[in-house]
Amino acid sequence: MLSRCRVLDLSTERGFLCGQMLGDLGADVIKVEPVGGDPARNLPPYLKDQPGPDHSIYWLAYNRNKRGITLNLETDEGRDILRRLVANSDFLIESENPGAMAARGLGYESVRRINPALVYVSITPFGQDGPKASYADSDLIMMAASGVLVLYGDEDRGPIRMSVPQAYPLTAADAAGAALIAYWERLKSGLGQQVDVAAQESISLAGQSTSLTALVHADETRRMAGGVKMGSIRVPLVWKCKDGLVSCVFLFGTALGVFTRKLVDYIFAQGACSEELKDTDWISYGAKLLSGEESTSAYEQKLGVVAAFFAARTKAQLFEIARENGFLIAPISTIEELLQNAQFKDRDYWRKVEHPDGITLTYPGPFAKLSGHPIAFRRRPPQIGEHNREIFGELGIDGDGIAALARKGVI
Amino acid sequence: MASALPLSDIKVLDFFWVLAGPGVTRSLADYGATVIRVEATNRTDPVRTVGPFLNNKVERETSALWWNNNAGKYGVTIDMSKPEGKAVALDLVRWADIVTESFSPKAMKAWGMDYESLRKIKPDIIMISSCLMGQTGPLARFAGFGNLAAALCGFYNLVGWPDRQPSGPFSAYTDYIAPRFGLATVLAALIHRKQTGEGQYIDQAQAESALQMLTIPIVDSAANGREYPPVANRDLYHAPHGVYPAAGDDRWIAIACRTEAQWQALTKAMGQSALAQDSNFATFADRQKNQPALDEKIAAWTRSTDPLTLQHKLQDAGVPAHVVANTFDMTEDPQLKHRSHFVQASHGSLEKTWIENSRYRLSRTPAPIERGAPTLGEHNQHVLEHILGYSEERIVELVSSGALGE
Repeated sequence: MLSRCRVLDLSTERGFLCGQMLGDLGADVIKVEPVGGDPARNLPPYLKDQPGPDHSIYWLAYNRNKRGITLNLETDEGRDILRRLVANSDFLIESENPGAMAARGLGYESVRRINPALVYVSITPFGQDGPKASYADSDLIMMAASGVLVLYGDEDRGPIRMSVPQAYPLTAADAAGAALIAYWERLKSGLGQQVDVAAQESISLAGQSTSLTALVHADETRRMAGGVKMGSIRVPLVWKCKDGLVSCVFLFGTALGVFTRKLVDYIFAQGACSEELKDTDWISYGAKLLSGEESTSAYEQKLGVVAAFFAARTKAQLFEIARENGFLIAPISTIEELLQNAQFKDRDYWRKVEHPDGITLTYPGPFAKLSGHPIAFRRRPPQIGEHNREIFGELGIDGDGIAALARKGVI
Repeated sequence: MASALPLSDIKVLDFFWVLAGPGVTRSLADYGATVIRVEATNRTDPVRTVGPFLNNKVERETSALWWNNNAGKYGVTIDMSKPEGKAVALDLVRWADIVTESFSPKAMKAWGMDYESLRKIKPDIIMISSCLMGQTGPLARFAGFGNLAAALCGFYNLVGWPDRQPSGPFSAYTDYIAPRFGLATVLAALIHRKQTGEGQYIDQAQAESALQMLTIPIVDSAANGREYPPVANRDLYHAPHGVYPAAGDDRWIAIACRTEAQWQALTKAMGQSALAQDSNFATFADRQKNQPALDEKIAAWTRSTDPLTLQHKLQDAGVPAHVVANTFDMTEDPQLKHRSHFVQASHGSLEKTWIENSRYRLSRTPAPIERGAPTLGEHNQHVLEHILGYSEERIVELVSSGALGE
């Protein structure tokens, strides 16, 4: 769908997914790496646990559907070649600390003079300016700064993050949408602009608006093992069953109380709860809890009955019951169980990608299914400088010229 | 004069509800799209029943979560079970560029509003269906919220302590991932339509979008057979790496050292040059291996100090560190203030509401966040009269037929 778009992807590990999404959607994406390869090629985990430029799974995860070139942007010649590429591109993606691109003469204000229609996407921890613009970051630091980390973990211990990096994949995915908003505008005005994406703000979406709590004078939401705490009210999402864990929403109000009523009716029909519990008005229950009309101990007692119902059944049994009756219950799965899940197999979701070592890798498939132009895995992640000849050739640099550039350390 | 808003020419008929879908249309509305959000009066959007609630009062219009997800949209109520209601919806299809929906599969078909039906009315329509598991497959009809997709996708086991059952991510995690992919896909479909005249149907399984966040463990598990048990705050790239106690109730400071320079800077900031010389922590591998002992030393240093003081001291020294921000920290955060992250928005029945700004800044055409989320049916009259051009008689008739709900 974006086959008329060319993207120059100068991003570091912070921004890989943005270019990959545009590539998935059909754009011609050129990943520009420093001579010797992108530093992320050194990040574990590695295929076969052996380091090597094509073995970093972090690199392999987020660089498909890109062609790859090397370019030394610390040299004048390298920067000149980049400017020639900019002249023929629609997007440039970068994720350097604020000011680093400008220091090389490649900041937005400079490159817009070469190509005023360029959409220039900058992905940073805190944004292009402001008191924290130069703060040092990491995945954990950004989860902390976005108001999300405080919600993760057990109430009697410190917050814990998701152990696989999330901060920048979330941010880079936002950047792709933002870039396309700017591109749509450009189709009308003919003008590009800078798209300034800050991880701190982007990630905050995952806090489910709890960051607004202080401003609206509501009870603070606090973390709790397998659920959340609103004031003194525990809302469990993780429940123990016979052979593992399930996630289940057990909530109240006009929308969610309906599901709770259906589940409790079922538990009653199985002879596993009292008539009194069955007759509870789950629609108004949340308001009663918040006002104190219903005590938290009475609520805890009710939760205990539901917990006992779960504890007596297996994950598979509970999921079966949920699917038949429209309950909000799903088994908590390992990655291995996920790979075996019949749903994804039926939708032909997993994609096989040939690796240069001759092995076949399994990837999560398209993020959406499109009727007219399905997302295709057209290219495996590039090797270092794999498309130098092809892309520099498009600029009119011949074989001898490429050899000369390589000798000078430009490519 | 300010430039026209980027999406001011885009018209959206929005049947999205709950969280994952409305996140997409919130972004479209931020940048100028006309979004008509359809609600049913007999089936409340669950988001209206989830907090934080203004002054803790649980009412239909007081959910800040609702405000934040629906700012800038026009709100109409339509009873789709009534033929008069459906006729209004079909007129809106003729008006729209994009139709969205996030019901469980079959609902739109039951109303005769599936893609095949809609393209007969409007051949170049773009339609996006977003549901938990996708429109096809054995779990297609398994409906629910993002916590359930997160459970099935393997996110839960990635958040937890090794000695306990997993804590899982906060709330409906996949609902905060899917909108990012939905937005990019819808915009790509619009661009494609502009260039070719072709519409498109988008089947977004929220689980399949969310799994892009787990590409690393999936590729690794499939290729290397590696398992991903809960490891609390341990990390492959940083050591020390953790959340350390600070002075105050539930106050914490996150610290992560990736480079030798950051580690040296940390020991210097701690005033413990002996630590930098300690052979137990000499190399990155040593620090990773002996992290429990290192964590104790760092915690002893952080425990009685204010977390913001620690943050400033460590960042001044070049060490990645940040207070584990709660809602009060977020409200006072000078960076978020600098970027006007929290903004006031107008509202149909409340004096004002608070929402978060667009999550990115476009330098030439920034989002002018002013209008808040609609109250139930707030724009019925406006949409029927000014957008659909209905006569006053017809509108009165519609209201009395119950086509706009109770």
